[in-house]
Amino acid sequence: MLHGILTLLLFQFTGECISKLFELKIPGPIIGMVLLLLFLVIRKGSFHALDNAVFWLLRYLPLFIIPAAAGIITQVETISNELFAILASLIVGTFLSLAFSVKLMDMLISKKEER
Amino acid sequence: MNVDALMTYITSTPLTWIIITMSAYKVGILIYEKTGKHALLQPIVIAYVIMLPILIIAHIPYKQYFESVSILHFFLGPATVALALPLYKNLKLIHAYLLPIFITLFAGGIFTILSAVGILWLLGASKITMLSMTTKSVTAPITLITAHDIGANASLAIGFVVITGLLGALLGTSVFKLLKIKHDAAKGFALGLISHAVGTARAFEISENAAAFSALAMGLVGVFIAVFLPIVMGLL
Repeated sequence: MLHGILTLLLFQFTGECISKLFELKIPGPIIGMVLLLLFLVIRKGSFHALDNAVFWLLRYLPLFIIPAAAGIITQVETISNELFAILASLIVGTFLSLAFSVKLMDMLISKKEER
Repeated sequence: MNVDALMTYITSTPLTWIIITMSAYKVGILIYEKTGKHALLQPIVIAYVIMLPILIIAHIPYKQYFESVSILHFFLGPATVALALPLYKNLKLIHAYLLPIFITLFAGGIFTILSAVGILWLLGASKITMLSMTTKSVTAPITLITAHDIGANASLAIGFVVITGLLGALLGTSVFKLLKIKHDAAKGFALGLISHAVGTARAFEISENAAAFSALAMGLVGVFIAVFLPIVMGLL
């Protein structure tokens, strides 16, 4: 698993370096992710240690989010002032975008399969 | 016995807050599994319910808490890179529906941002709320690493991500019935596109195929928005 973790850290590090060097607006870990994806495509597959490291990290993902998520306690004022707008945006926005996306994709697939 | 020394240790070591945070998450997992993995009882939701009162009662400044548990936060970087693997495994699905996937990805991704931010704008919300809403459909680690670059508040953005995940999982089935959706691929793709990992967990209940398309959508929209948003924000 060490080899897997090291692989992930190296790709993140490379991504961050590229982002800094070329003054890109794209976050370093995203560049690292795309590079790892290319690496897997070229290599035509993953390896055991990487599979393990990825499984472990993604399994505990919600835990890694808690430190940032807990900061919501510093935003109580914003939320209470704009509660109605936030709820409307979340509920109506999610409903509309879900309906729009699923209908669009469903129609495109039906059209493709008719041919 | 030196009670003062003990109290000083407990209130100053990062261990205290790491143990409390991990315990809250563990309780979250236990409840989630006990309830048969109910989509709305995600471990992160239960962790919120446990952590927030503790932080308020303990009266600890958020900055101090964050520094204590920053080792957990560190793993978000490698976890984002790790998302390449599930994306790679589902990449072969792209061949079957190349155009439907990319048209839905771009149109759906942009529609999601514009509809949510548009409603906020109409109702007079603040700029920070609107910026934090832009990443609401992106998986949480990507939201967090992008939030800073687009001038959003990371904690607000994560709150919106979690609620959007829950709403998508909650509304999914009725929306699909209402619109008479035929293809599982479309159902899964929309769930992953709008509601990231929570949507993918929900898609597993529809079919394996729906779950695979959901995981694919989650990865693609994460990359698309993380690349597209900072560039658009830079132009504004």
